[in-house]
This record gives sequence, C-alpha cells and structure tokens, in this order.
Amino acid sequence: MRISPTGKVTILTGVSPHGQGQETSFTQIACHRLGVKPDDVVVTHGDTSVVQYGIGTFGSRATAVGGTAVWMCIDAIQEKAKKFAAMMLKARGPEQIAIDGAIYRVKGKAKLSTTFQAIALAAYTAKTLPKGETPGLEATHFFEPTNFTFPFGTHVAVVEVDGETGEIQWRRYIAIDDCGKVINPLLVDGQVHGGIAQGLGQALWEEVVYDENGQLVTGSLMDYAVPKAGFLPRFETDRTETPTTVNPMGIKGVGEAGTIGSTPAIVNAVVDALAPFGVKHIDMPLRPEKLWRIIHAGRAGRATA
Amino acid sequence: MIPVNFDYVAAKSVDEALELLGRHGADAKLLAGGHSLIPLMKLRLAVPSVLVDLGRIAELRYVRDEGSEIAVGGMTTYYTLASSEVIRQKAPLLAEAAAAVGDVQVRNRGTIGGSLVHADPASDMAAAVLALDARMIVVGPSGKREVPAGSFFVGMLQSAVAPNEVLTEIRVKKSQADSGAAYLKLPQPASGFALVGVATRVALAGGKCGEIAVAVTGVAPKPFRAASVEARLRGSSLDAETLALACADVAEGVEALSDIHASAEYRKSVAAVYTRRSIETARSRAR
Repeated sequence: MRISPTGKVTILTGVSPHGQGQETSFTQIACHRLGVKPDDVVVTHGDTSVVQYGIGTFGSRATAVGGTAVWMCIDAIQEKAKKFAAMMLKARGPEQIAIDGAIYRVKGKAKLSTTFQAIALAAYTAKTLPKGETPGLEATHFFEPTNFTFPFGTHVAVVEVDGETGEIQWRRYIAIDDCGKVINPLLVDGQVHGGIAQGLGQALWEEVVYDENGQLVTGSLMDYAVPKAGFLPRFETDRTETPTTVNPMGIKGVGEAGTIGSTPAIVNAVVDALAPFGVKHIDMPLRPEKLWRIIHAGRAGRATA
Repeated sequence: MIPVNFDYVAAKSVDEALELLGRHGADAKLLAGGHSLIPLMKLRLAVPSVLVDLGRIAELRYVRDEGSEIAVGGMTTYYTLASSEVIRQKAPLLAEAAAAVGDVQVRNRGTIGGSLVHADPASDMAAAVLALDARMIVVGPSGKREVPAGSFFVGMLQSAVAPNEVLTEIRVKKSQADSGAAYLKLPQPASGFALVGVATRVALAGGKCGEIAVAVTGVAPKPFRAASVEARLRGSSLDAETLALACADVAEGVEALSDIHASAEYRKSVAAVYTRRSIETARSRAR
C-alpha cells in the first residue's frame, strides 16, 4: 500500500480479482481505517510489472487473505503515521496519539490534532523526521492465515417436475449463507447469485458430450448450454454472521458458497420429487428427457407391480 | 471458425439485389440478419463467394395494417414483430413466436424473412406462418409470385424461394373475434432453438371448435401442419378426452429428428403434450 504526499491511497495486490469486486471491498477497508474518501483510493491488480507477486484468487480467499494483508498494511502505515503525528504535535511519543479516521490527536488534548494528509506530506517532504525513521509512507504485507475459514450455509430448492415432459418448474430457491463479517452486502449477494447460477448450470444443463468416434459434439455455445438469467429462479437470500477468529476482521470467503450449495440442493429436490418412483439417485445434468424416461419407467413399473 | 474469403455488396434496392443475384448466380447468397448464414459460413458449411446484403433496404422493413390482412416486410426484425402494437393486436401469434426466438441480441438483428428462407427445421417463425396460413410474396427476375405457407417449406434447410429470388413480404389474415392463438416451445437450452414448438390457432363457433390450425416445429426435417389433429378436432367441443386423443398422435408417421439434445421418441412425446397445451391456451384466449 502506497500513500501519496497528498494522502491518496494506492493498493497494489497480487490476488488478481476478475469480477469479484475487491476493487470495492479493499477500498472500503482503506476508507474505514484511514478516513479517506473512496475517490482517494485506487486498487491496482493484474499488472505484474507493478503489483506484488500473488497466486491469485481461488478458494474464496481474495478478501479473507488479501483483504487481511490490506488491513495489516494499514496497521504498519498508521504505526509510522503516529510517529510523525507525535513529532508534528510535539507529543511525548506515538503512544500519546489517538487515531480517529483521518484525524490524529494528542490524547487528552482535543485541540492538538493533525490530519493523515498533513502527515503524508510531512513524510515525503521530510524536512524533519522522527528519530530513526525514514521518509515516505508505504507498507508491504504478506498474510498467511493460521487456519482456513469455515463459511457455511443452507440452500433449499423447491421444484415441481412436469410429469408429462420431465421439465423442472421452479417454486422457490432459498439461500442462507454465513461468511462472517460482511464488508459489502451487494458484493456478497452478487457472489452468491453467480455461484448459484453456476451450480445450477452444472446440475441441470452443462454437459460435455462426445460421439462414438471421440469427436466432441458440444464444442460451441450452440450445443453446450451455460446457465442464462432467464433459466433461473428468483433467489431468496439472507445471512447469519459468525465472525472467524483467524483474521482480524472476522471475514470468511463467500465466492464458492453458491456453487457448493446449489448443485446438491436442486438434485436432491428433483430426486425427492421422483421418490414415489423409487428414485434415489440421478446423474447430472438433469435434462428433461432423462427425467421423462425415469417417470415413464417408474409409471410402467408401478402399473405392473 | 473463420469463413473462406468472400465479397460483400450492400444492395440499395430489391431490384439491385436481384440484379446482383443474376450476375453472380450460384456463387451469391443473400444476407439478411445473418444469424443463420454467418454461423454456417464460419463452419464452412456455406461458402458463398459473394454476399448480397439486404440490410440497407429500408423498403423491406415494415409492418402494415392493410384491411383484412397484416403485411410484414421480409427484413422486419423479430424485435419489431414482438413489440409492434399492430402485430400484438391483430396477429398475436406472430408476436408470441418472435418473442420466443433466441435472445435479445438475436431478436434485434434476426429477420422473419431470413429465418423463413433459411428453413431451419426448428424455426419458431415457421410454425407461426404455417398456423396463420400466411402468404409469402417472392420476387424474382420474372416478377412477383405468391407462395402459400403450406408449400413454402420444401425440406430440411430448403424453402420454395429460388437462389435468384427474394422473399419480400409475408401476409397474414388478422385474427378474428372468438379466436385465439398460442405458441408453446421447449427450447434447446444452449441455442434456444425449438426442440419442440407448437403454434395453434383456434376459432370457436357456437361453443364448438370451428377453424383450427396446428403447426409443429423442431420435430421433423421440416415444420409441418398436423392435419389429422385439426380434422379430428374441427367441430368437436374440445373436451379433455377428445383433445388428448387427437393430440396423442400429432407426430404419427413423422420421421422425427434425433440428436444429442433430444431423441426422436422424446420429441414426439413432448409434441403431443405441447400440442394439447397449446390448443388449450389458444382456446382460453378465444374470448
């Protein structure tokens, strides 16, 4: 994390988000702690000539791990900023300084204060420096969690199966997830929505098919069905909030919550609907024709039984 | 996924398009919305050396209320058909079928004329024009001729329009009082084409079924009218039993399509169910 002489913030991250929204959530962390405005924060990623080496975003880890590294950088920057504040305000030492957003104040002396921006300027102009300090205001932190985080949740799919055609009709889809402390509810919902769509895609439509000669016959999006918005039910989402103890913000991953919950939820719902025919398992994807054959076979079986 | 090289000419009028087709013969192909032709060219299943684009000919894009009929220009987009008040009021089956085509991007560019001449066996528009007994106006070097929808679809990907002709207009009768129509479709989830699509039109006469039209797409090598279903239901009270019996063999004797998305057996079975439901919906709208 680099602070400019005017107090603007640049976060350079190796987590490489590609749509998950860490540009926003990392900015929120910086604004929350440093008291700067969102417009004053830039999150840079993906350009390996500029950013730190990272191993990317996977395992729902970008905010829980990368976001914590941002948090730790802020710790280091505020530590150094306090030393400058103590010097500028003629306090006895940094332990005398209290931080309230962008305001740095001498404890017990409310009128004796300076700002994060003034400190940043002093750190770069370096006319005088706190004892033993170098100019500049930046920090680099690598974070290795002591353990995994354990997000959890429950997904419920309510469906009807058309007995004549095997088509699945949605009734309700409910997802309750717990990803610990939430930084941005909209981003969390977006991750859950997208995850559900992906999980339902696997359960209902997506299939790689080869012919008897080994030729791939689902080689284009004309034949390989990815989930589209119009295929999906309305999602009813809600959350519980159980903070983790393995990072200072109490945040847990949410990127995979939807994919993990939705696939078994829908398959189990359909298996349950077809239970009267003795169905206990159906291979994915649950194409209508597959369900239609199961229903036909089940009806024939019941008729002869 | 890259077509072979081809030349491109944007025709400014139907006459110019005809002249270009005449000059280039079998090497030329008309380009309408391009949503069927371009994919075929990218797969090199079609290798025209000249594309004659009809896209700039404004005189081919229209919806007109002409007395007892609605006239639609060949280059009218699905979006226009689905959103036109005239179509929605006077030929709602056309609007419903157009709204069921592909996705928004496809509906914004794809055209009714392009779709019909391409004669895809799973075309939504084909079912609609068959059920509406549409009249196709085709213009060629020797002038204008009219082809009834019933003899327009010749075979798989083959229409009655010759390579040197242009489908300029589609004419349908306005819907009558006491009649209703419906288009029901089970889409292939990747492409959106119909695995089974059924367009029906039902006119009630004294509480009984009067005129009835049932057109099926997606099931056979070419979209077809289910004449036997129509014959069995005409004059009936459309009670549940009669309806179920009549619809059960909608695809009887049809050599049904079979592919990785649906077997022939499944297509035929769904066609029977969708025919029944489509007629029920059409009847419920006939008020």
